[in-house]
Amino acid sequence: GVLAHLEMLEARAHQAAVKQEEVEQQEQKLARLQARVQELRAQRDELRAKVDLQEKEQLGKEGAVSNPAQPSAQAVLEWKIKSIKATLQIFYLTGISGKLTKRGVCFCISTAYEGTYLDSYYLDLLTKPEVQIHRHSVPIFIPLEQIARSYLQTDIRRFLSVLSEHLNAYVGRRYQADQLQEHFSEQIEGTLQRNSLCNLLVFNYKVSNKSKTFPFKVRLLYGDLCCSLPTEVIVSCT
Amino acid sequence: MDETVAEYIRRTVLKIPRDEIKTVLQKWGFLSERQLQTINFHQIKENVSQDVVQLCEANSADIKQAAVLDIIYNHIYPNKRVWSVYQMNKTGEETEIFDLRDFKKKFKRQLQSALKNVTISFREYEDNAIWIRIAWGTPYTKPNQYKTSYVVYHSQTPYVFISASVLKSNLPLLCQALVLASNYHDIREMELRSHSLNSLKDIVFKRYSQNFQTYHPRPLQERNVAPESTDVRIVQENRNEKERIQRVNREVFGDGPQPKLEFAQYKV
Repeated sequence: GVLAHLEMLEARAHQAAVKQEEVEQQEQKLARLQARVQELRAQRDELRAKVDLQEKEQLGKEGAVSNPAQPSAQAVLEWKIKSIKATLQIFYLTGISGKLTKRGVCFCISTAYEGTYLDSYYLDLLTKPEVQIHRHSVPIFIPLEQIARSYLQTDIRRFLSVLSEHLNAYVGRRYQADQLQEHFSEQIEGTLQRNSLCNLLVFNYKVSNKSKTFPFKVRLLYGDLCCSLPTEVIVSCT
Repeated sequence: MDETVAEYIRRTVLKIPRDEIKTVLQKWGFLSERQLQTINFHQIKENVSQDVVQLCEANSADIKQAAVLDIIYNHIYPNKRVWSVYQMNKTGEETEIFDLRDFKKKFKRQLQSALKNVTISFREYEDNAIWIRIAWGTPYTKPNQYKTSYVVYHSQTPYVFISASVLKSNLPLLCQALVLASNYHDIREMELRSHSLNSLKDIVFKRYSQNFQTYHPRPLQERNVAPESTDVRIVQENRNEKERIQRVNREVFGDGPQPKLEFAQYKV
């Protein structure tokens, strides 16, 4: 009846659609391959030109003409990629690296203490209408606003340098405190008393000599936030 | 041991899920390991709490130790309370040397000079979080251990997380003590409130994962990609819009876990 007829039409339409799809795919594939052929031809011409140029130069020189091995286009590309990755890695290891974004720059400050790489912090800056911080992952207790107020508009290099000093010093102090707690846990009484910036450490520890133990109390004050060494040390025998 | 202290400890233990009572008591550290081993933690909670109270009696627990147990309970289960975020301001730009001992002394002194009948307890945690528990009394009555406020403060930050009790009238007193003890000038409540203390911390301390563009992409987590329908005739009308929304979301929020949103309120 009508339904069977409709079913048949639907099946036919589906088959036609599938065939059309196949044809379109074939055409796309063909177009892609043709484009690729053009690309390879262009590359080949470029390399041929280079070879000619090199041979001319070589003939100009005296001595034997050594035919340098022609690296394939693939190998050249791979070498370029490797070299760029290495350069980026170097920038990252220097501690301050950046990447241009659509609206400005994104800086990455990586910190380290005596050869151990520690945390990385990010700053997303906008450059229009003036230089401003869009987002960041700097901890709240680092005086970022203060540093930005002083240098961000006028001298961005100084801004990054000062911020990097603060972050590296903070991370250095924290790392030292963690290491102290970890490696001398037997001599230290309980845990170190510290604060978020790790710029004040107070703890009690004991030194044993033969059968006697001497209890000491230490107060380390780090007055300079850009420094990972204390500015004031008070050790007393309790 | 005081009757009220015994009752308070008993009620606090009853709040803890039975399987976790032993861990919480171990964290408390007031009862020795040997004493804990004498308790059968598989019996009904009523009996467990009675056993705990008896042991505390043997060790002569006072309100200070009971208060510590309460802080520990609230630290493990902070989501049972509603937390509000307060922001402090200061005008000076001197280097902050936060001395915990100083802070505690100033806070206690300030609060107790205004209201003598309070129980104040402190407890510090590894992430530099200082927990303060205050049990409020009145000028004429002893502190009511069931009317408590809690404060969580990370040193050298301008944010304080407060879970006030029903006694809102004591809030100005508490705020003033905080401002003075932490060397700030004033304090105001932010429009930020939640049961999830960690989500609040994530938001103000920016601990949620943000997506920053770098040349060193972190490894992407596996995403479940729904298989696209292969019939070319079916076109998603707002596919472009959907993709744009996904892309913007990923750019701003990244792929990591985000703070929990409980409710949103728009004010005009």
